[in-house]
Amino acid sequence: MTKEEVNGATEEEQHAQSKKALKKQQKEAEKAAKKAEKQAKLAAEQQSADEDDFAKDRYGLPAMVQSQEKLDRALVRVQDLTPEKADQLIWLRARVHTSRAKGKQCFLVLRQQQFNVQALVAVGDRASKQMVKFAANITKESIVDVEAVVRKVEQKIESCSQQDVELHIERIFVISQAEPRLPLQLEDAVRPDGEGEEEGRATVNQDTRLDNRVIDLRTTTSQAIFRLQSGVCQLFRDTLTKKGFVEIQTPKIISAASEGGANVFTVSYFKSSAYLAQSPQLYKQMCICADFDKVFCVGPVFRAEDSNTHRHLTEFVGLDIEMAFNYHYHEVIDSITDTMVQIFKGLRDNFQTEIQTVNKQFPSEPFKFLEPTLRLEYTEALAMLREAGVEMGDEDDLSTPNEKLLGRLVKEKYDTDFYVLDKYPLAVRPFYTMPDPNNPKYSNSYDMFMRGEEILSGAQRVHDAQLLTERALHHQIDLEKIKSYIDSFRYGAPPHGGGGIGLERVCMLYLGLHNVRQTSMFPRDPKRLTP
Amino acid sequence: CDIFKGSPNLDTLLGKDLGALRDIVINANPAQPPLTLLVLHSLLCQRYRVLSTVHVHSSVSSVPPQLLSCLGPKHADSYARHMFQLGFTLIWKDVPKLEMKFSVRNMCPIEGEANVARFLFKLLAPYPSDPVLATLVDGWVDTAFFQLADGSTKERAAVLRALNSALGRGPWLSGPEFSLADIACYCCVMQTGSASSAATNVQRWIKSCENLVHFGPAKVLLK
Repeated sequence: MTKEEVNGATEEEQHAQSKKALKKQQKEAEKAAKKAEKQAKLAAEQQSADEDDFAKDRYGLPAMVQSQEKLDRALVRVQDLTPEKADQLIWLRARVHTSRAKGKQCFLVLRQQQFNVQALVAVGDRASKQMVKFAANITKESIVDVEAVVRKVEQKIESCSQQDVELHIERIFVISQAEPRLPLQLEDAVRPDGEGEEEGRATVNQDTRLDNRVIDLRTTTSQAIFRLQSGVCQLFRDTLTKKGFVEIQTPKIISAASEGGANVFTVSYFKSSAYLAQSPQLYKQMCICADFDKVFCVGPVFRAEDSNTHRHLTEFVGLDIEMAFNYHYHEVIDSITDTMVQIFKGLRDNFQTEIQTVNKQFPSEPFKFLEPTLRLEYTEALAMLREAGVEMGDEDDLSTPNEKLLGRLVKEKYDTDFYVLDKYPLAVRPFYTMPDPNNPKYSNSYDMFMRGEEILSGAQRVHDAQLLTERALHHQIDLEKIKSYIDSFRYGAPPHGGGGIGLERVCMLYLGLHNVRQTSMFPRDPKRLTP
Repeated sequence: CDIFKGSPNLDTLLGKDLGALRDIVINANPAQPPLTLLVLHSLLCQRYRVLSTVHVHSSVSSVPPQLLSCLGPKHADSYARHMFQLGFTLIWKDVPKLEMKFSVRNMCPIEGEANVARFLFKLLAPYPSDPVLATLVDGWVDTAFFQLADGSTKERAAVLRALNSALGRGPWLSGPEFSLADIACYCCVMQTGSASSAATNVQRWIKSCENLVHFGPAKVLLK
């Protein structure tokens, strides 16, 4: 290093900087040289290895799959690898979950969705030393095609879902190579809360998970959550279809807000503006007036609430129901609660594996319910809360803490995580809610709760155009904006009611999870618009 | 035909009226239907406006239909819970012991059919003011559940003999008045199938019990 004269503070700084830069350059050059050397060495090794590798056709990086050939090759599913398949030669496509080389052999854990199996490449007459080395160097999460013999094992492999067999690899080809550095480790992402701290191991925080959602979704927990979520949708559709409901599709770009203008997204719509639907409410009702009798709708719902809580999203999937009834809106409640009970039963009976998988990471009590569903009236809830020392007015809405406390009280007495609260005060409900004929303070409306949190809000709707106008005026709503809605009731409208559920909330609360983002595949909240 | 004299006041028995349904929740195992409670339910319905509901808890996968309808047909007003004085909510649940929950903030859950029966009976009629008679009633209730329902063949025979001699002294077990002792003993005698081998006084008493319509719901489940 050369000595330089120092003339001034600024110059000194500049010198120092350029000195630093120089150093940096030098270092980088050294690094590059080393790297080149290493690569050259590797290439040389590879070449010399290739020359005397008898197994060189049995592994490697084949050309990218561009559909250039149509192989007549059956790929077996990992979950189907059972002792019945013992001693068969099979093909399989899976991800490399982990690999561990040990001298002349290399153990791999191959993963497919939530299932995994142990595989082994060992030097012998099928695999060469070079092939084992190649297998050991495959990066985690790469996708491989493997030809292997299924072998029964003496001792159960506790760490895999397929515990009774392992694979003896004869060929291994990398179909898609993963970059060597992963933004998060899958093992870290499925570690139960608290367990990592004890052992000094890493856990992944939620934002990191969500930033790298594609990788996070590969974990057994995420796989189970979203399979169960799909089950909820399926059970919802099946149950309602069996009850004679018709599935409808409604527009999400609308001209007027349905539930108060405060929490609605405005979008520019050519020369004017429009809103994103807060619920398919008005359209469901118009379908009832159009003689569809019983309808349901599964689709996105938007809420522009700037609340960053564990249970609010700005876009979620709404499961909406609307039906005409004969004489009493309890016909609607019965229909909805029965649908929910069928969903809970379906999950209890058909998704036990998924529930157990999620429980491993996020332990929770099994979801309990009653059949028929427990229905309490608002006044009863008030009495229960007052008995517990809560001071509340007769016509006050339930605050979130009171909602939770009530949930605990109901659970204590009835041991159910699901119940209906009926007869809400009219003042706290939207304008289209039917007032109670016996007590004008109350309304024919109801909420449904899971584990003490609201999942559904519903009511008998006003189906009389005149009363609807009155109620809208009482709520100071611009009649011009909801003209087409009110008009739909002028030409004969049957009495009807309904409600809407948030899919993500239902899944979260059924599984006893603590954040709705865990049950939203690509969550949207005030602070997150990507991925 | 009200068979009990006096009219207990729910406010004094159960505490201040909070303007909402007073709901009694009973968790029972469908493997052991609580016959005495069904009889008491029927008696309560005669005295009060009772909202009766039957639920199945998710811990139980299926329940025979007669257990679902054991509290009789739905009340015509059952959609309006606030119109009733008392709620009788029977939940078929996988519990080791029958339990009752009422005021969860002030009362621990009451375990055992006998104890719940005592609680419900006090809503119908006060216990005899004579402590000897009151203890006698309690004694018969214990005998019914511990020695008849849970006892050996020998114990059962002994109880039947004791019943026979007690019933030789009066029409009902605790003397002149029908009481919880009669309900408990009748249900346990019938449940254990020992009625046919019983002596004359017991046979006569069984007939008198059955003349009261309130034993109907229990008889349905005995078939």
